[in-house]
Amino acid sequence: MRFVLIDKIVSLEKGKRLTAVKSVSLSEEYLADHFPTFPVLPGVLLLEGLVESASWLVRLTQDFACSMVLLEQARNVKYKSFMSPGSQIEYTVEAKTIDERVSSFFGHGVVDGQDIVEARIGLRHFNLADRDPAMAGVDGYVIEQMKSRYDLLSGQSLNSD
Amino acid sequence: MGMDRDEIFQKIQGVLVDALGVDEDEVTAEATLMGDLGAESIDFLDIVFRLEKAFGIKVPREELFPAESLLNNPELVSNGKLTSKGLAELRERVPHTDLSEFEKNPDLSKLADLFTVNAIVTYIDGRLNA
Amino acid sequence: MRWIWIDKFAEFESGRRAVAIKNVTMAEEHLHDHFPGFPVMPECLMIEAMAQTAGILVGEAAGFREKVVLAKISKAVFFDYVRPGDSLRIEAEITTMAIEAASTSGTITRGDQTIAEIELMFSHVDRNLAGKKFPEENFVFTGTFTGLLRDIALNHKRPVAQPTESG
Repeated sequence: MRFVLIDKIVSLEKGKRLTAVKSVSLSEEYLADHFPTFPVLPGVLLLEGLVESASWLVRLTQDFACSMVLLEQARNVKYKSFMSPGSQIEYTVEAKTIDERVSSFFGHGVVDGQDIVEARIGLRHFNLADRDPAMAGVDGYVIEQMKSRYDLLSGQSLNSD
Repeated sequence: MGMDRDEIFQKIQGVLVDALGVDEDEVTAEATLMGDLGAESIDFLDIVFRLEKAFGIKVPREELFPAESLLNNPELVSNGKLTSKGLAELRERVPHTDLSEFEKNPDLSKLADLFTVNAIVTYIDGRLNA
Repeated sequence: MRWIWIDKFAEFESGRRAVAIKNVTMAEEHLHDHFPGFPVMPECLMIEAMAQTAGILVGEAAGFREKVVLAKISKAVFFDYVRPGDSLRIEAEITTMAIEAASTSGTITRGDQTIAEIELMFSHVDRNLAGKKFPEENFVFTGTFTGLLRDIALNHKRPVAQPTESG
């Protein structure tokens, strides 16, 4: 599988809110195990969609200052309904705070007007060079890769004039 | 085990922070569980499980969160309001909650407002110091 | 890939607690997207490893008769990131077992270091989500997991329930 759990970023207000969508297809391999005869997107991948959405909001708000953006805590993540192949979920994350090293969000996902998932998310963000200056090159590489990924997800180019 | 109301409140505050992922300062005595703190079905179970552990008592879910079974019974609810049978049922289940305001207009949508942090404190106080 | 996020059970005390192991390896494709240039195990997949460990613990306690699904992640907190070559120990215990739901609590460690603390709630699907249609058979506990449990049963004095093979 490719570990990218959103397909498109559809709206962005830096520092505030981001919405993204993910379509689910039967061709996604893990569905064969989850579950046989009843394929549904695994709950942790719904959470990952929210985490990725929040991560993009951080990266864009901070102009890709940090290479590493990781989940530090998830609280009260509730699964209200199942999501089946052939449908599309819209994730919305709203920032409570975005500081230099940590940020917090409230996120939820909806399919055709039905609530599927909601969560309170805390992220932490940093560069590997913070601990080990020799890693600055790796930070640079990761950031470039994530910028390219953003181009794909937003349908535009960060490098365009 | 004599616990005073303040101690009970603090422990319940801790339980709600853990169960609902809210901040301590959001858990005021008057905060409503469903409205202010966003609690739903699965959260009620989480809260009951944690209260049982925290206070060493068994908490029948019905006693603390009776709304659920009331909502689906046509004898107890009609046109979005509790019938007199429904009100009687409610009064029996939650002797610890003041229903006088609610009874004037027993609208289902207002049922949620009844269940405050204070109501839980009163319930636990009653159970511990009975 | 397969949706199995634990490799084996190291310990299994029916109805009480279980310990599973997960190895993290460069051979796992998803690591190369998270992130390109510096692979780390996604935190959400660590949650899944705990969900599978705890879910099997809860399911086995009821003889795999109930369909047990993850209903809520009460809390998941992470203290460090995990890299290829690391081996994780996932320990879960049942904190409450009730008719409609169960709650579990656990930690993920790497050697002496605590990587995560995770509290979960599982719902017994047949008793909830009224009105939704599910297949009759237990689609949750399938052959995918029997291999894992067979190993414990061999080493265990008390019988460990086995899921029945489904379609």
